Amino acid sequence: MAKLPDNAILRRRRRELAAGGAVLLALAVLPLPIADVYTQNLIIMALLFAGLAQAWNILGGYCGQISLGHALYFGIGGYVSTLLFLRAGLPPSLGMFAGGLAAGAAALLVGWPCFRLSGHYYAIATLVVAQIAYLLALNWDFIGGATGLYVPFHAESWGDLAFRTTKRPFHYIALAFAAAAWFAGYLIEGSRWGYAWRAMRDDPVAARSLAVRLLPSKMAAASISGGLAGIGGAIFAQYVGYIDPDSVMSLQLSILIALPAVIGGVGTLWGPLLGAAVQVPISEVSRSWLGGAGRGSDLMIYGALIVTVALLRPAGLASLLRPARRPPPAAEARNANAA
Amino acid sequence: MPTLLRRAAVALVVTLMPLAWTSSVRAAGDVVIGAVFPLTGNAAQVGIDARAALETEAEIINGHHDMPMLLGAGGGLAQLGGAHVRLVFADSQNNPQTARAEAERLITQDHVAAIIGSYTSATAATISQVTERYQVPYISADNSSPSLTERGLHWIFRTSPTDVMFTGAMFEFMQAIGERTGHKAASVALIYEDSIFGSDSAAVQRKDAAAAGIRVAADIRYRANSPSLSTEVERLHAADADVLLPSSYTSDAILLMRAMHESGYAPRAIIAQDAGFVQQSFLDAVGPLAEGVMSRSAFALDATRARPAIAPVNALFHARAGKDLNDLTSRDITALQVLADAIGRAGTTQPEKLRAALAATRIDGAQTIMPWRGVAFDDKGQNSEADPVIQQIQGGTWHTVFPFAVATAAPVWNVGK
Repeated sequence: MAKLPDNAILRRRRRELAAGGAVLLALAVLPLPIADVYTQNLIIMALLFAGLAQAWNILGGYCGQISLGHALYFGIGGYVSTLLFLRAGLPPSLGMFAGGLAAGAAALLVGWPCFRLSGHYYAIATLVVAQIAYLLALNWDFIGGATGLYVPFHAESWGDLAFRTTKRPFHYIALAFAAAAWFAGYLIEGSRWGYAWRAMRDDPVAARSLAVRLLPSKMAAASISGGLAGIGGAIFAQYVGYIDPDSVMSLQLSILIALPAVIGGVGTLWGPLLGAAVQVPISEVSRSWLGGAGRGSDLMIYGALIVTVALLRPAGLASLLRPARRPPPAAEARNANAA
Repeated sequence: MPTLLRRAAVALVVTLMPLAWTSSVRAAGDVVIGAVFPLTGNAAQVGIDARAALETEAEIINGHHDMPMLLGAGGGLAQLGGAHVRLVFADSQNNPQTARAEAERLITQDHVAAIIGSYTSATAATISQVTERYQVPYISADNSSPSLTERGLHWIFRTSPTDVMFTGAMFEFMQAIGERTGHKAASVALIYEDSIFGSDSAAVQRKDAAAAGIRVAADIRYRANSPSLSTEVERLHAADADVLLPSSYTSDAILLMRAMHESGYAPRAIIAQDAGFVQQSFLDAVGPLAEGVMSRSAFALDATRARPAIAPVNALFHARAGKDLNDLTSRDITALQVLADAIGRAGTTQPEKLRAALAATRIDGAQTIMPWRGVAFDDKGQNSEADPVIQQIQGGTWHTVFPFAVATAAPVWNVGK
């Protein structure tokens, strides 16, 4: 395999960090001229799902462990922060980190038995575990059961992450979340872990022969991924003001968390953000324009677009960013020989 | 390949553009009212029916149909110079987050005077939160979870009864029929789906049964949209209670009736918590198995003598939807009627004045299509005069059997036989 000179990698890393900073800056000023609440909501949801998809991508993309149960971690984060707020008075601005820790711990618990399975079996196991947790939540009265939990609104406060009608604070909260997830992805990409995980994803046996320890690697990825998803769930709970198992732990949500990464490009740094930037507006806008007709045409357009992207760009939208950079392996080898 | 993608994107934008234009065109002087219902997803049929019902009532208010009820004369809202009521529908997809976003969009983009919704209580939970923060009235047409009006919200007005009132009527009926026939119900069996609707319903039933001194012989929670209910039916059979009290949506209600039939179990009496059991698709699917099934209802289609508007309103609705009014669609019609009346009395859509007008609502039951005493909101926004009825399927159609004063048929009561 051809190896790029080290300074080329470093240069690319610096470029990506600069691009990340530029995007962050652009997204930070983006809401200033937007007065329309609906558009603000759309951007917030896109940012939230960009962060969630990046969280999924850390486990599903870099580490290659396809999870169909991320709603579990999302739900745990939402429930833990909301319950701490309701029962113990802990402000959600702190509670969301408790939610993230709990979700990360849950990811370790799920990972311990499930990572012994590989490929499709792992994906199915995560789906089943998440469904079991969903059913438990539905029947557990202490956490509100099927009735769900209302987040009370007292006064506008950053500590409580509670705001009457203004959306701007949540824009920055969601942006901070998405940026943190992106930065986690960036750090992982350049770290020893990131290389080990990708090696393991591509060929577990070969990776193992190079002293990559499979289970601990997967566990590390799962806890980071689950923890981030849990923080996202806590933010979502505060934003929506009401959670029930159907809205924060359903299978549909697990799919929606994975989808932006798949559309944008699995295992890429920019894929989840790009995917969310395309997927969330399409689903929201098609619904508000066409949903009132009640014929499901919005969902058909939404589905058709996803199929279109999947057909035209099977490697995800992120592959649009650098079309020339990824020559096929054969060409790469030829170039190396020529050099 | 990228050019293809670009072309696809351009084509999409071009197709969608006209839709954006049409939605922003608004006739001057209209009173715009938002409606959030599940128009797609697992409860889509309910939302589509609600849409037809609200459009029917808007047609009555705006047109000239001369219905014998409040605002039945038509011609728009007289106090606002004959302004027409215009509805804007939004799809909640039966998802609380979506319902919240759509309610917000209706308020900020379409500038609706009020929002009507929303069938499921989980979506009402978030819609009512949005309307509270934006200070726009939310008219709960058909959400029955009691918790909605127990949260100290100022902008929610629920025209229809809550589960507490519905279940109360079921136990009142059991008491009254027991006294009349001498065959009292000694035990009940609860079977309910595991969402907010089923669990709330069962909680109230448990409490009412304890208060009435009736034994709960079985208490079975099952997974909604379950592929099979045969084990649950076996347990019901073994408990063999006097009265079966199911709380289920349509597909589960059909499954339950079929599973009981297949296992050879015929409960002596079934009093359903509305929902799936009153859908036309339930009657179509189970046919003769439904004979004798009772349900609480907010509406009595057969009460045409006491409510002269039922027949003509139903005819108008039938022309639009191809089916008769049911317990849900009748409540949607009434919700819009109550709201339009309040807008008329307020003479404006200014939120504070509209809220005050809603709070001061006093409508006699005879001025509506509902069998209620009337419409008057308590300080929590709950209509305290919405008395439910008990109906029974006799000869394939629903007949009102309780309260005896408004009954159109005598109940068939097999307990003790």
